[in-house]
Order: sequence, then C-alpha cells, then structure tokens
Amino acid sequence: MTAFMQTDSARQISRGIAGALLVAAVWEICARGLNLPAYILPSVTSILAGMAGDLASLLEAARFTATESFAGYAIGCLVGMAAAILVTMIPSARSIVLPLATAINSVPVVAYSPLVLLWFGIGMASKIVMVAVAVSFTIFLSTIAGLDRVDRKSVDLIRSFGAGRLAVLWRLRLPTALPLIIAGMRVSTVRSVIVAIVTEMLGAYGGLGWVIYQAVLQIDFVKVWAAIIVASAISLAFFGAISFVERRYVFWSKA
Amino acid sequence: MSGSIAYAANLSVTPAGRIYAAVKPILWLAVGLLAVEVLVMAFEIRPYYLPRPSAIASGIMATPGAYLAGLWRTFLETALGFLAGSVFGVVMAVVFHRWLALKELFFPLFIVSQTIPVIAFGAVVVLWFGNTLFAKAVISFYISFLPVTVNTLLGFSSVDPRQVQLMRSFGARDGQILRRLYLPAALPQLFVALKLASSLALVGAIVGEWFGDTTGLGVLLLQAMYNENVVGIWATIVVSACLGMGLYSLVSFAERKIVFWGGEQ
Amino acid sequence: MLNRRNILAAFAAAVLGFQGFTMTALPAAAQDVVNASLRLKWLTQAQFAGFYVALEKGYYKEEGINLTINPGGPNLLTENLVATGADTFGLSGGTDSVFAARDKGMPIVCIGVAHQVTPFVFVSHKDGPVQTVADFKGKKITTWFTGANHVLSAMLSKVGIDPKDADIQPQQVSVTPFVDKQVDVVTATRYNELYVINQRVGKDNLNLFVPEDSGVSFPRDTLIVSEQTAAEKPELVEKFLRASVKGWKDAFANEKEAIDIIMKIAPTLDRAQQEFMLSEVKTLMTAGKASTDGLFTIDKDAVGSANGLLAQYGVISKPVDLDAAFNPSFIDKIPAGERRL
Repeated sequence: MTAFMQTDSARQISRGIAGALLVAAVWEICARGLNLPAYILPSVTSILAGMAGDLASLLEAARFTATESFAGYAIGCLVGMAAAILVTMIPSARSIVLPLATAINSVPVVAYSPLVLLWFGIGMASKIVMVAVAVSFTIFLSTIAGLDRVDRKSVDLIRSFGAGRLAVLWRLRLPTALPLIIAGMRVSTVRSVIVAIVTEMLGAYGGLGWVIYQAVLQIDFVKVWAAIIVASAISLAFFGAISFVERRYVFWSKA
Repeated sequence: MSGSIAYAANLSVTPAGRIYAAVKPILWLAVGLLAVEVLVMAFEIRPYYLPRPSAIASGIMATPGAYLAGLWRTFLETALGFLAGSVFGVVMAVVFHRWLALKELFFPLFIVSQTIPVIAFGAVVVLWFGNTLFAKAVISFYISFLPVTVNTLLGFSSVDPRQVQLMRSFGARDGQILRRLYLPAALPQLFVALKLASSLALVGAIVGEWFGDTTGLGVLLLQAMYNENVVGIWATIVVSACLGMGLYSLVSFAERKIVFWGGEQ
Repeated sequence: MLNRRNILAAFAAAVLGFQGFTMTALPAAAQDVVNASLRLKWLTQAQFAGFYVALEKGYYKEEGINLTINPGGPNLLTENLVATGADTFGLSGGTDSVFAARDKGMPIVCIGVAHQVTPFVFVSHKDGPVQTVADFKGKKITTWFTGANHVLSAMLSKVGIDPKDADIQPQQVSVTPFVDKQVDVVTATRYNELYVINQRVGKDNLNLFVPEDSGVSFPRDTLIVSEQTAAEKPELVEKFLRASVKGWKDAFANEKEAIDIIMKIAPTLDRAQQEFMLSEVKTLMTAGKASTDGLFTIDKDAVGSANGLLAQYGVISKPVDLDAAFNPSFIDKIPAGERRL
C-alpha cells in the first residue's frame, strides 16, 4: 500500500482526482438528466451550494465529530497496544485474554452503543468511549498478530547476544510488528469517524451524525449529503495523515 | 492467526490434556460469570447499569424463539454480505494489481466510499431495495469488501519480484503466475482481512436491520434500547457475541485448513 | 480450491440475493390480490395494534390486499418511503411531518388521522420549580426534535416566552435524567414514556402540561399514501382503510387478544406497558371529532391550526394547501356508523 504512495505521486494524485471527478460527473448527469427529486438523490451542484450556505453549522458539527474521533482513536491505540504488549510479555495471560478479547470484539461495536449512551449520557464522553472501544480491539489484535510474526530464529539470535525479554520486545518484536500495527491504525482512522457518527445518530448534542439525523427528519436531503461529504473529508484527512506517518517512519515495510 | 497455532502447539498430545485445554476457557468463563453475579449482588448495582448474569440468562430463556429467529436472520444477511464482499474484494485486488491505471483511478474512491457513514448509506439502500434480506446483505457487503482488497494487495506486494522473473523464464503466463504465486502468497494477509471482514459484515447486517426490519438481532437491540430494557440489551449483546465468535471460528478454521504454513512462531 | 469455493459461494449469494430482490418486485399473481405494504412510524408496539389485528385476522385479505407491515424506527422517515414508492401506505409522524413533506414537494397525501389530539404532554415534578407553563422559562427542558419541539415552542409563545429563554435540549431514550431530577421538564407520550414515569416517580408526584390546554393542537399518527396511489388506485386506499378500521375496532373491543398478537410479534416487550399503551391510544383515537364521526376522521380545523404555527416557526416556508395535503374522500366513503366504536 505504501508502494502505491511512493512512486510518482503527482501522477497518482492527478489520477485519483480524475477518478473522483469522473464519478461526480456521472452523479450530476444522473441527478439532473433523470430529474431526480432531492429526496432520492440531489445533484452535486446543489449539494455544494447547500454546503456553502450551511458552512458555519457544518464546521461546528465537524469539530464535534472530529474531536470525538481523534480523542477516542488516541485512547484506543494506546490501550490496544499496551494490552497487546502485556499479553506478549505474560504468555500465561494469553489463553484467557485472547479469547476474551475476541469474544468482546465479536459483538458489533454498535451493539454497545445503547449501553454506552445509557451509562455516559449523550454528551461527547459516550462517543469517545465508543470510538476507543472500537479502535482498541482492532489495534490489539493487529499488534498481537504483528508481535507474533517474529521469526523464531531471529529471537534466538538476539537472545544469544544476551538480550533480555524487554530488549527482545523493543529491538525485535516491535519493529517487526510495526507494519501490521500501522496497517491496523490506518484502517481504524475511518472506523473511528464512522463509529462516532453512528453513535451520534442515536443521541447527541451536536456533531455530523446528529446533523444527518435531524436533516433526515426535516426532509433536508441536501444537508444530509453535505454532512456526509464533510464526514468523508474528515475521514480522508485522518487516513492521509496516518498514511503519511507510515510512509515517513515505517520505511522498511515492503508494501 | 499464528497465535492460535502457538496455542495449539501448547496443547498436550494426550486426550486428557486436550480435553482439559478445551474446557479451560469455559471454566474461566463460568468462574467469571459467577464472580460478576456475586459482585452485582454484593454492591447492589442497579440493573440499569449491569444486570446479573442470571437475569440476562432468564431474559433469553423467557423468549428464546425471538433470539433464535433473530440470530438466524442476521446470520443469513451477514453470510451473504460477507461472501459477496470477500469475492468482490479479491477480484478488485486482482484487477488493481493487473491494471495499475485502474487502481490509481479508483482505489482512492474505494477508500472514500468507506468513509461514508454506513447509516447514511443504509438509508439510501433501504430506499432503493426495500425492506429485504438482500438490502441488508448489500450493506454488509459494502462494509466488508475494502479490508479484503487492501490486504490482498498487501499480500501481492510481498511477493519477491525475482520469483516472478523465475516463473516467467519458465514460460508461465500471467494467469498462472497469479494463481500459483501471487494468490497463495497473499493468503495469510487475506485471512487477516477475512476475519476483520466477518465482524464488519455482522455490524453491517445489524445496522441494516435498524431500518425498519421485522426480525433480527439489530431489531431486538433497537427494541430493547427504546424500551429501556437493559436486560434485553445485554441479552442481545450476548447472542451477537456468540454469532460473532462463531463466524470468527469458522474463518479461523478455514484458515488453518488452507493456510497450513501459518505464521512463523 | 480457493477459487472454486469463492465461485460457488458467489453463485449461491447471487441466486439468493436475486431471489430476495425479485420477491419484492414481483407484481401480484393472477388472482385479484394486490400486494401492498404499510410502513409504521416506529418499532412494533401496541400503538399500532389495530393494523396487526387486522392482518392477523385476515381483514386485509378479505379486501383483496396482501399486506406487509414494516416497522419504522429512529432512522426512517415514513413520508420518504411512501413518496419513493418503497412502501404503499405509511403511518407517519403527524400533521407536522405531513406539512413539512408537502412543503418540500413530496407527493404524499394524508388519508386519515389516528390521534385526534396531541399525544404528548410535558411533565414536571410536583415538588419542583415548574408548576405552570410560565415557569418553563430558564429551566432545563428535554424534548424530541421530531415534532414535539414545535409543540413546545408554540406553548411557550402562547405565554409569551421566547423558546430561546428556556434551556431546551434533545431528549435521551431514557427518562432517568428526569427521574433523577437532573432535568426539570420532560416530554412524554401519553401511551409510552408516561407509563414509565408514572411507575418510577408516582402519578401523584407529577404535573402534566397538556398542549390543548394552551390552545395548541397537533394531531398525530397520520395515514399517508403517495399522490400516485391515491389517483390510480382509489379502491385500494378505500379497502385498506375499511380493513384497518375493522382491525382497530376489534382491537379496542378485545384488548387482551390484541396485546397477545403484539406480544407474539415482539416478544421482548413489557406486557403491562403494552396494555397501558393500548388503552391510552384508545382515548387518543376516539377524542375530538372521532367520537362522533369515527376513527381516522380528518378534522380540518384541528389540522389547520397547526398550519399557521409551523409557518411561523419556519418549519414550512409558507402555509400548506390543506385540501391538497389532506384528502378525506376515502375515509368518508366509510359511513360514520361503521367507524364509530
């Protein structure tokens, strides 16, 4: 995936934009040509116009959602990685924690949202908790998979040089695991925004999910799509940021 | 993945040892549940926060038909969406691998498509396809295909170019190289994605059911939530967890059979 | 092996998926039975008992309608689904949502009104700071922004309070914040939240503020069809209404049986609450003009009073053409005697 970003980025970026413009053009033609009413599919231009008009409230909502996503993401990454490292350091805990984590992760994160909303109310706290839960499990499982990837022979080699458990972790396992961890982190960026929005739709004081919910009820579908586009933009920016970090700092990953 | 192989390696060879190892997690689960039951009673925690496990169990037992019917329906939607998503994901990875131009044009859009909140997408899907199982499967499909594409591409890129040269020097055609070199090389990564995709497909099915469905775990969850039936919420969570674990085990089982060379440890 | 498995799976998925898709798209078979669907405004509960009774007892089948009842939910807008043809009939939010839909150009028309008076009330603690509507000023009030907020704004303006002078917030699913006195005034439907609040706080410890007392009325639970259906299939609409009226009369006459039917479909509901819900719904559906003219009567005056109010709050750009939005011709075809309880 990094190879995708490395070679000839100018051409790739222009191609990527070309693809997006192509889809936008098809959308516009369909919406206008078939004369679709706004509640089925508004035209791209009307959505953009709507966005321009509602910019202030959309940005405010975006701020809400972005804060919830980033905060939850950060907490989730830390918790997930810490838990994975702990489990690797204490092998006996593995047979209990791993099935438990898998079990909790098997429940669709959205199933927890009613509970979290009842426990933490409809403020930002509940959304941050939901995002943290969703992200931490993905990161936990990615980190464990990454830490397990280490070649037995390399472990033996470094041990023969007198490296203790901690050194093995720091100098061998973590660097080897980093590509998988970062891959997990990359995927989680988009998830965190979506989980925040889904939770907001069940109850919130503000945020893009709340805006979408209200807009549907007010039959303002231009606003719905405008909010969706803003949400996508945030996700993309977030995704791009982590990909950038990956490209700069995890330079040895082959892909 | 390799963790399960390490776990298996730790299993004793004797039948008694194997039984003990299989039973151990269940024992721990039973102990854990008992502990929670005692704690909730001791601290008099309001059922609003955490009902006793026995209350949850009796909640399920009171109307088992509803949970079973919901389980089955959600399973069908998930399975359909997951299978369709996996196939599509692998196919797209192959396409993108083969034709770089297509990849550069459309892969960013794939990523963008994932950023559209599934709830918004679901509203549109239900409008177009109605209240059918197919509509929910579409939502599952939509959430699950991207990780499969991403990981398959990742797997493809791990292939040593020299091996590709070697095969070409033996006169292998593109299709053969794909089947015999790239796809097997991508399998470990693919299965990581399939495990993730299975749980995502389940999420898609459940969220899809929130759009006015008649049966399903998502419906039960919504009903419990809007009736403030905390026991009901927990009961649905437990049943969903069982379904999720079941799916994960199925994929892991397939992985162990297919990717017999596993991880390194 | 990987390829074969995937291909088989894909094929199976395609077949099942296609079958599921075509099952909804197929028109009615050679008999005279017409396929139709009714989209409710919320999850299955006693509030919709009459429709389920009619379905269970075959009243729709007698009229030649093969009806499917689709529950609604928090993410659905009935008007939208009826306007796009995804559902034939809809039981939508209320006169306010019908107005809003018509204002946005959605081609739907109301053919009957279920709840003749506003079904929600505002509740405060008897030993709290809010004893009259005038006391709402500056207090913490939770409400739903799906229509109830307009009722609240209207009530406040009738006593000269600007809605901005009260702390109005979106209401959670749970009434616990009100029970715990973190919220001063809570919105409750007579048939749903009020039951829970009565249970937890006690009926005698509460003040109820009824919108009609403040001169505000929002009839709710409106039956809608698309303009196209109304124009092309008037007999279908009439038959649907006839069967529905029969179902509702049956439900009110045999409440226990009606609840049995509801519990069968949604077994995880609380039976006691559902019984309470049905009796409250009965009061709502037989109030006002319905006591003389029967169920689903469209009272143009009651309906029109909300019109100006909604225009005032900018919910709709201008008052809606009532005659275009509300079409009583179908329900009037069923004589009042048949519709009265």
